[in-house]
Amino acid sequence: MARIGITTTVPVEVIYAAGHVPVDLNNVFVSSPACGELIEEAELAGFPRSFCAWIKGIYGAVRRMPDLGAVVAVTQGDCSNTHALMETLQCEGMEVIPFAYPYERDYDLLRAQVEGFARRLGTTLEEAQAEMRRLDRVRRKARRVDELSWKEGLVRGLENHLALVSCSDFEGDPEGFATKLDLLLEEVAKRRRDEGFRRAEDMVRLGYVGVPPMAPELYEYLESLGARVVYNETQRQFSLPFDTGDLVEKYRRYSYPYSIFYRLRDIRREAARRRLRGLIHYVQSFCFRQVEDIILRRSLDLPMLTLEMDRSSRLDARTRMRLENFVSVLRKDRG
Amino acid sequence: MDVRYGVDLGSRRVKVAAEQDGGGYRYLGPFDTAAFYRDHVEPGGGGGTLLYGGLGMEEGLPLAVTGYGRARLGGGALAVPELEAVVAGVRELTGLRDAVILDVGGQDSKALLMKDGRLADFAANDRCAASSGRFMENMCAALGMSLEELGGHWEDPVELSSTCAIFGESELVGLLGEGVPRERLAAGVNHAILRRLLPLLARFPAASLVLTGGVAYNNALRRLIGERLGTEPLVPHPPDFVAAVGCCRLGARVEEGDDGRI
Repeated sequence: MARIGITTTVPVEVIYAAGHVPVDLNNVFVSSPACGELIEEAELAGFPRSFCAWIKGIYGAVRRMPDLGAVVAVTQGDCSNTHALMETLQCEGMEVIPFAYPYERDYDLLRAQVEGFARRLGTTLEEAQAEMRRLDRVRRKARRVDELSWKEGLVRGLENHLALVSCSDFEGDPEGFATKLDLLLEEVAKRRRDEGFRRAEDMVRLGYVGVPPMAPELYEYLESLGARVVYNETQRQFSLPFDTGDLVEKYRRYSYPYSIFYRLRDIRREAARRRLRGLIHYVQSFCFRQVEDIILRRSLDLPMLTLEMDRSSRLDARTRMRLENFVSVLRKDRG
Repeated sequence: MDVRYGVDLGSRRVKVAAEQDGGGYRYLGPFDTAAFYRDHVEPGGGGGTLLYGGLGMEEGLPLAVTGYGRARLGGGALAVPELEAVVAGVRELTGLRDAVILDVGGQDSKALLMKDGRLADFAANDRCAASSGRFMENMCAALGMSLEELGGHWEDPVELSSTCAIFGESELVGLLGEGVPRERLAAGVNHAILRRLLPLLARFPAASLVLTGGVAYNNALRRLIGERLGTEPLVPHPPDFVAAVGCCRLGARVEEGDDGRI
């Protein structure tokens, strides 16, 4: 059994089926008390200051994980900065396993990728398929948390974010993570009788699109302004909430690695059914996805705040000012 | 006689507007922000307390505060969102209800869309202050010019290519060393600021454009924006006190029981 690092969501069923444990390196980095140091370490190694902080943080995290057996490199469906990271790690002796999402979501090409990935780890698609049934039991719980967020308004934005984002690797322990979700669901059920708990209904309902934030305190800050995130686009995608028993099809429906136009379909549908009043588009400094802001603004008919963050896990005064004014504009829209 | 105060705690300067009995305003400042905190704010738990006496302000009158530092001023002051304050100030000082407002402050630039007297949308600069008052100050220091003098040059600009305020300064010094005339460099600085402001303005159709913040004193920039957009921007007087005046207006509304506006 080895720990296998992932830098974005990949078919973790394959990793579990091979008897290994996936570790989402983004979560290791962002939840580390030393996340600033990890970035610094990457810069000392030569990563530019004007470069994605997620990549630098992951690099720093990997360097401190001597027990990591290999890292999965998504060579299509993520970004070229990841390529550079993988090659740097390779150069330092790390085993790198490539995986590519076909841009046009072609079933056969994706199937070949999953099969190749399974072969590389010494397992098969069939075994991964069996593993999916086990993981789907946990995903259903995460999906329930998400539904309670927007249908009943009983889940805080941060709780929604954490429940869904953790589905990328199930914290390396699907059953343990399922227990955490059960506890959260119990807690949320109690809120039905708690008059003191603010429902999303009485707040400004927001959607969050783009990659997960460098500063999760964003969610609590929004709550303090009377706004709640009831849709986390990418995090929800990590939980693969798709009703299909076919593993390849499941990862074909997953939107993050494919074209923005496919993502837009998902965002539009969810914005309508979750009755969102506005969207926060989070962009990481120096990320190619900053350009996607153009397409999102042209394609979505909702007020949108673009929020750029670089390396700090705290919200600075500028970011707070933007959030505060955005919420205040939306509140007035209500008339 | 003062009836209420609005304080804009900006990143570089603090501006105070004192609303007068019977209308009109008295303006105090602008003060250097760091010096203001040192000289006029008593530190304490739950935010500092404003020392009215040294400022020539009357204690006990209603006070509304905006700007980056407002959370640090407790003592019962009403905290107002910054962009709301700018919109309220523009309404008060220009009488307009529909406009695009370009507010260029010490380290931030924002384009605000005012519709029917309310903030309807806004765009803010990215994580770089090279289109702000601070940038202009630094460039003036390098050129040995006052802000007013800098605002006198817009023709035959030198192309400044640096993306960062600090490198921009080095670039300027290098060009000075090469013997490039200061006038052309000053024009280059104004063009560089304009280039960074245009993407913000591109978001909104500017039927009427209002320019606020201390940078609005820059004549050349006003002229360049006018040329570029085909409409001369309107500058409320005094442009750097707009948010402080807005604080007074929003404070007055809350006193009248209209707290739905903030």
